[in-house]
Amino acid sequence: MSEFEFLRNVTIGQYIPEDSIIHRLDPRTKLIGALLFALAVSSTRSVIATVLVLALLMGVIVLSKLPILYVLRGLLPGLPFLIFLFAMQILFQGGNIPCGVTWFEWWFVRITPCLAELVVLGMLRVVAFLYIVSLLTLTTTSSYLTHGIEILLAPLQRIGLPVHEFALANMIALRFIPTLAEELERTAKAQASRGGDFGNAPWYRPDIMARARLPLIIPLFVNALRRAEDLVLAMEARSYVGGKGRTKFVELHFGAADWVAIALSLLVWLAVWLLPWPTLRTWFPYL
Amino acid sequence: MPIIRVENLHHTYQTEAKRPVQALRGVDLTIEAGEYVVILGHNGSGKSTLAKHFNALLEPTAGKVWVKEWDTQTRDHVRDIRRTVGMVFQHPDNQIVATIVEEDVAFGPENLGLPRAEIARRVDWSLERVDMQPFRFRAPHLLSGGQKQRICIAGVLAMEPEVLVLDEATAMLDPQGRKEVLDIAWRLNKERGVTVIAVTHFMCEAIQADRIIIMDEGQIALQGPPREVFQQIDRLRELHLDVPHVSELALAMHQQFPGFPADLLTPEEVAEAVANCCEEGQWPIVNGQRSTVNANEDYPNADHTLDRDTPSPPLPLSQSPNLPISQSPLLSLQHVVHYYMRDTPLEVMAISDINIDVYPGEIVGVLGHTGSGKSTAIQHFNGLLRAHDGRVVVLDQDLNDPKVDMRAVRRQVGLVFQMPEAQLFEQYVGDDVAYGPRKQGLSREEVRARVQHAMEAVGLPFAEFKDRITFGLSGGQMRRVAIAGVLALEPRVLVLDEPTAGLDPQARRQLMRRILDLQAQGITLVMISHNMEELAEICDRLYVIAGGRTVMEGTPAAIFSRAGELRAMGLDVPDVTKVAEALKARGLLPAGEVIYTLAQAEDAVARLLAQRSGAEGTGAA
Repeated sequence: MSEFEFLRNVTIGQYIPEDSIIHRLDPRTKLIGALLFALAVSSTRSVIATVLVLALLMGVIVLSKLPILYVLRGLLPGLPFLIFLFAMQILFQGGNIPCGVTWFEWWFVRITPCLAELVVLGMLRVVAFLYIVSLLTLTTTSSYLTHGIEILLAPLQRIGLPVHEFALANMIALRFIPTLAEELERTAKAQASRGGDFGNAPWYRPDIMARARLPLIIPLFVNALRRAEDLVLAMEARSYVGGKGRTKFVELHFGAADWVAIALSLLVWLAVWLLPWPTLRTWFPYL
Repeated sequence: MPIIRVENLHHTYQTEAKRPVQALRGVDLTIEAGEYVVILGHNGSGKSTLAKHFNALLEPTAGKVWVKEWDTQTRDHVRDIRRTVGMVFQHPDNQIVATIVEEDVAFGPENLGLPRAEIARRVDWSLERVDMQPFRFRAPHLLSGGQKQRICIAGVLAMEPEVLVLDEATAMLDPQGRKEVLDIAWRLNKERGVTVIAVTHFMCEAIQADRIIIMDEGQIALQGPPREVFQQIDRLRELHLDVPHVSELALAMHQQFPGFPADLLTPEEVAEAVANCCEEGQWPIVNGQRSTVNANEDYPNADHTLDRDTPSPPLPLSQSPNLPISQSPLLSLQHVVHYYMRDTPLEVMAISDINIDVYPGEIVGVLGHTGSGKSTAIQHFNGLLRAHDGRVVVLDQDLNDPKVDMRAVRRQVGLVFQMPEAQLFEQYVGDDVAYGPRKQGLSREEVRARVQHAMEAVGLPFAEFKDRITFGLSGGQMRRVAIAGVLALEPRVLVLDEPTAGLDPQARRQLMRRILDLQAQGITLVMISHNMEELAEICDRLYVIAGGRTVMEGTPAAIFSRAGELRAMGLDVPDVTKVAEALKARGLLPAGEVIYTLAQAEDAVARLLAQRSGAEGTGAA
């Protein structure tokens, strides 16, 4: 409804505090679990198996006590991408998959039942990925996610990767997202109050569109740089000299529930991967 | 041994531009352990540069700085210096690293490599010190400015410093937040013996100091205990600083009635002194006889009050609550409700019942503390936000009607946000001001005329400023450019959200004068401010907003007559009102007398003192 509230429909990256089993899991568990679910979704070509994984995800949403409609609506920002994917596959993929039956053919476009299966599968996968990621961030604070990632990646430090610096940069980025979003909103409003508009260029003139957005982008960058300078000073004043010799305040606790959750996720992945799930061809071998 | 010693310190900034900036030119200073020192100065006086030398964030260009026995120039002890001298900066948002409060507080101790148990103890202890224990698991961006700044202080305390430097740490805060931060600094100083060095441009913050150091042109211009420094009013004015109204009142009374003490700092002290004098009548009256009423005539340089150069006769409708029926308001909010993040689990009701009417030609002030919903409320005036319930009528158009042309409304009702200089984007001042008129599709000549007019209305001569680089201007100038950008649309109404926040006293006075000029030109103004003195001086009517509702409405006199209620709401009242209250509590002033400007206070106190001396039979003609 409001043209200026930018963050309202983005569920990825939002954290909704709730007292649920899922919220209480160790962030490492949730990261590994999310990875296993993502693996499960990408390791099958079966629509049925993918639908089952989606159903399990819905179960996890229920367990996490999040308002279901709100979580489901998180798909909306991904919709343009889904439509694009759909169109591309319909137009260009048909010729690449050998199939016995053709429903429709025109120039290079060829629509077959096999293509239909592929398209549906593709859509379901994207939807599942979106829900996996938003479920992860809705139930885990960004801070815990960062600590989780830092600990999981710690072994890479031995081969010289700057894991701590990466985690800190990540944390600072997350910390400033709401601040910058607020600033963007304020700038948009201020420029609108000065008679500015940002969306009236014809779609075939992206140059005009980009120029119209300069009044938003320039202040955002100028202020972000200023903030960065301030932050460097403030971190230096607090004796920050890099990851060396630092200790950590946050401790993560891995409990029984975590083992169970990881075992279950592993089971889901293995089941989806190894079981002979029916595809279109198992039912219609003549295709 | 002094904890900080500065010897003939020079600092020169090498900028990309050709000429280097000499920020400090020969400062000598020692600060003893346990002192509470306030460093004052206008913008560009070198005060923040000096502060950054105290914990080796800067290296001297010439001269020496020692913290304890460590020379800040040899970099071997940087870590020791930084754990001895903790520093809190101006923008709370730009100092917080972590997304959770307690983790941010832990950042410093983590850097020191302390064991986990010790970090946990220090986090607890520091959060306790700043009264932020209940917020330890919150996300910092959801806290108020004052709360964020307290987190920053806790983050520094967790390193257990011996010196706490507050580098304009209160400049961005509302009165409540400022008080919170100052109270904590004071307690740390008195109870824990922490040396406090506060850099600020607010005189009133210096009252609690042991010593005031005033910087000007990179040198120490004046120093001493507050009582001595505040008496040098003329010198302070030369240095572009304000004098607290209480001290000014005391000094004015002292000049009329030499027996009256000149070195008073708090409203309570003034009331006490008046009471003593009234009871004992203990002074010889010399020059107090003639001028008890026209107190101001004796002080021609009392330019703190904003003289309305063109004393436009106050519009009758803005003065009386009984408005003529024929006059309809230009802007009207009726029972307006607005939610943020509506239809999400994070939905919050920002305002629940706002009623504001603005009549042609008046200046309306809106006050309320941070989070009361006042910024949300004024965004309804030009349709940036739409009411979720209630009516918004702007220039006879109902903004709930989807057919209303918002862009036309926005040209008529100009809205200037907080810190509007943050939204400038063009390289040259003239182009930035021209953005609105150009978007309107006006001719080149028309745009030029509008830009010229708008820039001159805010006191930026067109020929001199139009080709200046926007980002090279001072903060006060940039703010005026931003206001000109809205004025170039030639609005009938100008809505200003905290126009003076973060400006130094001189820039603030200049801006306030410009606002009065705009009123004289026929522009109707709405202004949000935390600064009560400011609102009292220029507004025709005030609205008080608390908890998303309009709770009071009336002339400044009517509003400030309810000082007790305002304070109960966590709002500050002008210092002179506090003097009046203290006098009323002693039965010296009638309860009905309302005082909210310095001139009124001088009148009333002079009258009290003159009565007293009259009763003695020595006095008034």
